[in-house]
Amino acid sequence: MSELLQFFIAGLKNGAIYALLALGFTIVYASTGAINFAQGEFFMLGGMLGVWFSSLGLPLPVAVVAAIVATAAIGAAFELLAVRPLGAGDPLRVIMVTIGGSVILRQLALHLFGPDELPLPPFTEGASIKVLGAAIERQTVWIWALTLLAVLGLAFLYRKTAFGKAMRATSLQRDAARLVGVDTGRMVTYSFALAAALGALAGLAVTPLTQTVFDVGAGISVKGFAAAILGGLGNPVAAVAGGIVLGLLESMTAGYLNPLYKDAVALVVLLIVLFVKPSGIFGGGRREKV
Amino acid sequence: MGWTRRIVTLGLVAALGFTLVGCGSKSGGGESKTTEPYKIGAVLSLTGTYAALGTAEKNAIELEVKRINDAGGINGRQLDVIIEDDATDEAKAVSAATKLIEQDGVIGIIGATGTGQTMAMRSELQRASIPQVSMAGGNAVTSKFDKLVFQTPWPNKIVVPFVLQAIKDAGYTKVAVVSDSGGYGKDGHEIIVAEAKNMGLTIVSDQTFNAGDTDMSAQLTNIKKADADALLMWTAGKEAATVVKSATDLGLGLPLFGGSGQARAEFASGSGVAAEGFVFGTGKSLMPSNWPEGSEERKAVQDFADRYKKAYGADADIFAGHAFDAVGIVADALKRAEGDVDSAKLRDLIEQTKDLPGFGGTFTFSATDHNGLTADDLALYKIEGGKWVLAK
Repeated sequence: MSELLQFFIAGLKNGAIYALLALGFTIVYASTGAINFAQGEFFMLGGMLGVWFSSLGLPLPVAVVAAIVATAAIGAAFELLAVRPLGAGDPLRVIMVTIGGSVILRQLALHLFGPDELPLPPFTEGASIKVLGAAIERQTVWIWALTLLAVLGLAFLYRKTAFGKAMRATSLQRDAARLVGVDTGRMVTYSFALAAALGALAGLAVTPLTQTVFDVGAGISVKGFAAAILGGLGNPVAAVAGGIVLGLLESMTAGYLNPLYKDAVALVVLLIVLFVKPSGIFGGGRREKV
Repeated sequence: MGWTRRIVTLGLVAALGFTLVGCGSKSGGGESKTTEPYKIGAVLSLTGTYAALGTAEKNAIELEVKRINDAGGINGRQLDVIIEDDATDEAKAVSAATKLIEQDGVIGIIGATGTGQTMAMRSELQRASIPQVSMAGGNAVTSKFDKLVFQTPWPNKIVVPFVLQAIKDAGYTKVAVVSDSGGYGKDGHEIIVAEAKNMGLTIVSDQTFNAGDTDMSAQLTNIKKADADALLMWTAGKEAATVVKSATDLGLGLPLFGGSGQARAEFASGSGVAAEGFVFGTGKSLMPSNWPEGSEERKAVQDFADRYKKAYGADADIFAGHAFDAVGIVADALKRAEGDVDSAKLRDLIEQTKDLPGFGGTFTFSATDHNGLTADDLALYKIEGGKWVLAK
C-alpha cells in the first residue's frame, strides 16, 4: 500500500513537470499552429540560469525569478529573431526553425556553462515529509505548488484580462483577431515568452532534485510533447491532464514492471491514443468545417 | 546569369575532384620524410552525455602534446594529435575514426571516451589495422580481446571485485544493486552478478535505470521492500546524484557503495548531505599521496596534477588522468621506435610497453593483457564533508 502511494507521488511529481512543458507546447501551438521543439531548451535554460544567478550571490528566490524572466526574454528574442522573419505561413517552417534554434541554444549553453552538471539547493531544506509510510520530498511539494500556481495564473490571464482575450482571439482566428485590432504578431511573441517562462519554471523546480546540464532539454522535450499530444494539443486543461496521466503511467510501469520499459510504455499508450482518439484523451472532437 | 552559374558549377566539380584526388594520395601513405610529425588521432566525446569526461580528456591531451613538442618532440619529430568529437554517439565515433584514418592518415587512435563508442569503432580500425588506446572503463574493451586495442582505465573486472570485497569486509551480505542500462552500467552489472555469487554475497534486489532518468523513486521503493543491508550503485552518469538523494529522501538508511563513476567532484558536491559516508573504489591516483613518497607513480601523477591545475585552474579528474596515460603510452612507444613508424609497428611497440609509470598505475602490456592494471592500483574512498578521503 505504501509503495503504491510512493509510486503515485513520484508520478504526480513528474506529471506536474510534464504538464508545465505541455502547457508551453500548447500555448505556442495555439498562436502559430506549430510545435516549438526548442521548448526543452527553455527548461534547460531555466535551471542553468538559476544556477548562474545564484552563483553570482543572489538569494535563491531572486535567482529563480531572475532566471524565469531572463528565459522569457530569450523566448521572446527567439521569436523576434528567428520565427517572425518567416512571416505567417507554413507551420512546418516554424517547426524547422525551432529545431535549429534548439541546437544553437544547447551548444551556447555548453560553451557558456561548461559540460559538467550543476547543482541548485532545494527551495526548502529539510527531511522529506512522511505520509502513510511514503515519503514526499520537500522539493516535490514545491513542484506541485508552483505548477498549481502557474495553471491558476494562466487561467486567470486567459479568462479575465484583455491580454488573455487577445491571445485567445489570436489562437482561434488569427485574421479575424487582426481585423478587430489585435496585434497578432505581438501575441505570437508573447506566446513564446510565456512558453519559455513555463519551461524555465519546470527546469528550476526540478534542478534541486536532479541537477542540470546543457543537454537535458532534448529528453524532456519529448516527454512534454507526448503529454501535450496525449491530452489534446491546443487545450491548456488537456495539456495539464495529459502531463499527469503520462507521469503516473511512467511511474507505475517503473514500479511494477521494469524501469527500463517506462519510456516505451508511455509512447505505446501515446500511439494507441492517437489511433483511437486522434484529438487526445481530453481534447474535444474536431469539428470539420466545410 | 546562365554563364556564371555554369562556371560556378564547373569550379565546384573541379574543386571536389581535387579534394578526392588529394585524399587518395594522402591515405596512400607515399614516402614520408623523417622530419614529418607523428600523426595520431583522438576520438573524444566533447558534446553529448559524456561531454564532461571528453572535455577533461581533451585538456589533458593538449597539455601533454604541448609539453612533448615544446621539449623537442619525439626522436626529433613533433607529435600531432588530431581531435574529433563523437558527440557521445556510436555512429559518429565510427565516422570520426574513418575520417582520421582516410583523410588525416593517422597511425594510431586514442579513444573513445565511452565504452559503446570504443567498441563501435573497432571494425573500422581492424579494416585499416590501426592500434587504439581507449580511455573507456568498460570491461568489454579488453576482455573481448583484440590485438589492436589497449585500455588505460581500471576496468570493471578489477574494480567490481574490489568494491564487493569492501562490502563483504564491512560485514554486509545482502546487497541491493542499482545500475544504468548504458554501456558502463551494464558492463559492471554482469560482473557484479557473477562475482557476488563467487564471494558469497546475495543480490536481494536488482534495479536499473536509463540515462537521463530524473526520478528514482520506483527503483528505490522496490529496494526498500527487499531486505538489503547495503546498496551498490554502478553508473558513470549524473543520475548517481539523483539516486543517492532519493535514497536519503525515501529513508532507505542503507550504506551506499559505488565505483570509479563517482570519482568526480560534481557527484560529491551535487549530492550534498545525501552523499555523506558514500564509499567507492577507484584508482590510487585519485589522491597522489596514496603512492609512496619518491615512487615513480607519485612523481608522474603529482607532476601531471600540478601542471593541469596550473593550465586550467581546475583539479585533474580521473578522466584527464586516463587521457594523460593514453598520450604517455603512445609517446613512450614512439620513443622506442627505430626508423620510420607505421600503424603495425606502432601496435607492436605499444604492446612492448613495460614498467611505464602513469596515472592508472604502472603499465606493462603483454600479448594477452592490454590493460595491465591490478587491484593493487586501487584504493577505497569515502565522502566526508563533500570531499573524498581514504576509507581505511
